[in-house]
Amino acid sequence: MINPEKIDEWIREVEERPGSAAVIIRYIANRLRELVERNEELLSENIELRTGRKVEEFESRIANLQYQVDLLKRQLGGEAVPEPAEFSGEFVMGTKEDMAKTVPIETTSLLVYNTFGQVLRVEMDSDKLESRQPVGIFSGEIVLKHPDTGLLSPVPRLLATSSQEELLFVFDSGRTVTHPVSAIPTGTAEALGWQGAYSEEPRGEEELATILPVARMSMYEFCVQVSRRGCVKKIKEASFETHIARGYIGTGIQSAPDKTCCLAFCGSDDLLVLVSKEGFLVTEEVGRLPYTIEEVLRLGITDHIVTAFTIGKKPSLLVVTHNGKALQKEAGWLDPAVTFKTRGQTIIPKERREAGVRVVGAGAVAETDWGFALRSDGKLVAYTVGDLFNRGSLFSGEQVEILGFTTL
Amino acid sequence: MTMRVGIDFGTSNSGVAVKRGDQVYLLPIDQRNVQPEVVKTILYITRDHKYTIGQEAVELYYKQNINRLRHYVKKWVGEMDYYGGDMHYVRDLYAYVDELKPGRLMQFLKSALRSGSYPGTQVFDRYYTKMDIIKVYLGALKKRAEALLGEKIEAVTLGRPVKFSNDPEQDHRAQETLQQAAHEAGFRQVDFELEPVAAALYYEMTLDHPQNVLIFDFGGGTLDIAIMRLGDSRDRKVFASGGIGVAGSDFDRTIIQKRLLQHFGFGWITHNPDIQELINAVSDWSVLPELSTPQARLKLEQAILERKVPARIKALEALIFNDLAFSFYNQVESTKIALSSVGTAVIRLDEKDLDLWELYTRFQFEKDIREYREQIEKVVLDTVIASGLEPEQIEAVVKTGGSSNVPVFSEMLAKLFGPQRVKFSDVFNSVTAGLAIKAQGRQG
Repeated sequence: MINPEKIDEWIREVEERPGSAAVIIRYIANRLRELVERNEELLSENIELRTGRKVEEFESRIANLQYQVDLLKRQLGGEAVPEPAEFSGEFVMGTKEDMAKTVPIETTSLLVYNTFGQVLRVEMDSDKLESRQPVGIFSGEIVLKHPDTGLLSPVPRLLATSSQEELLFVFDSGRTVTHPVSAIPTGTAEALGWQGAYSEEPRGEEELATILPVARMSMYEFCVQVSRRGCVKKIKEASFETHIARGYIGTGIQSAPDKTCCLAFCGSDDLLVLVSKEGFLVTEEVGRLPYTIEEVLRLGITDHIVTAFTIGKKPSLLVVTHNGKALQKEAGWLDPAVTFKTRGQTIIPKERREAGVRVVGAGAVAETDWGFALRSDGKLVAYTVGDLFNRGSLFSGEQVEILGFTTL
Repeated sequence: MTMRVGIDFGTSNSGVAVKRGDQVYLLPIDQRNVQPEVVKTILYITRDHKYTIGQEAVELYYKQNINRLRHYVKKWVGEMDYYGGDMHYVRDLYAYVDELKPGRLMQFLKSALRSGSYPGTQVFDRYYTKMDIIKVYLGALKKRAEALLGEKIEAVTLGRPVKFSNDPEQDHRAQETLQQAAHEAGFRQVDFELEPVAAALYYEMTLDHPQNVLIFDFGGGTLDIAIMRLGDSRDRKVFASGGIGVAGSDFDRTIIQKRLLQHFGFGWITHNPDIQELINAVSDWSVLPELSTPQARLKLEQAILERKVPARIKALEALIFNDLAFSFYNQVESTKIALSSVGTAVIRLDEKDLDLWELYTRFQFEKDIREYREQIEKVVLDTVIASGLEPEQIEAVVKTGGSSNVPVFSEMLAKLFGPQRVKFSDVFNSVTAGLAIKAQGRQG
């Protein structure tokens, strides 16, 4: 709002106090610079509006919000809150039993899945869980042969999550599919078998790489995709939602025969931990991770990543080996890597590694958390983390092997 | 022995001093302030009626109010009688009150004394008369001073302007209210001294021979003038005193009206009295914080939708609804103060949806307050005439008070009395120090 009258007044000021001239010029020059920068921003925005890019961006945001709403609807156990219908009757006071019918009870589901896309679900009442008690038993084969090649599939993987969750199925081709947990039928806990499993069939030669609960993904800034050979790729949460909406997140590998093995949601200040089968571990600051695929942990030829997770506010790290050992490390023990392609920290001593001890699962935990193990005798057993820390072992004298382990 | 202090209860700033022996001690009453001997005349009352003053009040206000939640509820505030022809009816009045407001900040408390139409205000669930407000402030000052001195203060000499008001009745009522507030604050003995006379007593300490002195006490709320014979305590004489209700806060208001209202739509919005009313209210510090009601927002949003200078109305909305009133008035005041030492300054406020930038020069400022300058010159000359002295018989002109630093008034005094006779006194503390001298004199 600079008008001729104002300019005249400034000139009068300079006539009275010539020293003001330089100050006035400096102030106006600074202001001009600010306005030019702002003008640049506005022009860019205007171009985006005219070319329709802004519209696309908003459409994408709306689509993402719609997606979130759908997730919430599923979590609440139904469709959107119905429109209030025209009331034409009397109000009746509901009983406690009626309330119990309408309010969904928080239950936990333990999922066991293999690379063929078969998924078994066991539903558990969190309040009734007991440490070292089985929550399910396999009645048939645990590891299947591929119907065409006849090769044995890798051992099944486990996932423990809320029964109100939304699951993201990730195939090694980069394809994704979402389903609510409730869409997977629960199996008979005492006689689990792949023949009755829910199947999300792979297309062509692809394999199911991992299943990830995604209902809370909007609370995070990034999703990190991790490959079996220790490569990572960071994806912004907003882009990740778009990728999911399009059903493709990328293969997450530099070259075959590497395969995607896990995904983790994280904030920029989080620490991401990758744990390998032979007991190597690398900790990376998420903020430092690249958006392109980079190898962060250099693995031996026979080694591969078993799991990846963020530490968050959990105080400890739990690592479970195939021979039933539960190793505890304080979160402070983790030493974030300063470079990529490191050998990382070791969890299993060299002698034991050479003796064939292997990691089957790991996670960031608190003592009150639960862990679930799949044993070679077909039992799915629940443990409290506190119990595992106290005893240091998953066994109580049995001669079995641990095939898989997960935490909740 | 009764502990006596002098308190300068100023419009913008206050201070407490005590005289021991020949030495005047200005108490560091506001440790958080840049100048601890000066405390801002600002009071913050929280919802649970806890009080803070000075810089602490400002900091607490910011801490509790920036980006906080608001929730307005409609509350009955009273009723209004309507008379017309043979009709008489009563209508209920409602106001929208922010339920989550954590506290109320009050400035320019002394101005309340000048106003006959301001009885007090509702602060949450309690009604505070203007006497209550001043009592709370003086009570807080007393408490701080006692903590510093380590003993109970029983008596106070309070400063007062030559005229609270041109109406003698209102002037008398103002002093009575101040006196009552001081008693209620816990001072058993309360007496008064004219502020310019107090400033003169402080100046007198520097004199080695008697002089005719004009005290030009120009603060935040009033201009007070006294012409006195000083230098010999047995032969002190007040020739004349005068004053006018014009000072720093009037200059701030003028700057806002003449230079800043246009940023909020003034001169651009016509035929919309509601919005015009909101724009005009910006220049009134006491009204602006109260404008953030749902109705005001609705009107502003409507005007924006109707594309009536939307950027300016958005700026007005930002000023009202983002708790920027205090920053805004501070910016105006600090720019005015800066113009006493430099020729050019910028009034700047860059907040969400508000990008206020106004280059302001001393020439513009002097142009804007020309009318006040003329009034003040007239008051000075009238006081000199009333004293019976010729201007050349006045040997020294002592300037005190924040506004006395404004160059146009220094030049005016230099022109009237000669530049060598214009003396600077301690801008903020001379009245406080003089009141302490007076207090000790009463003790004697």
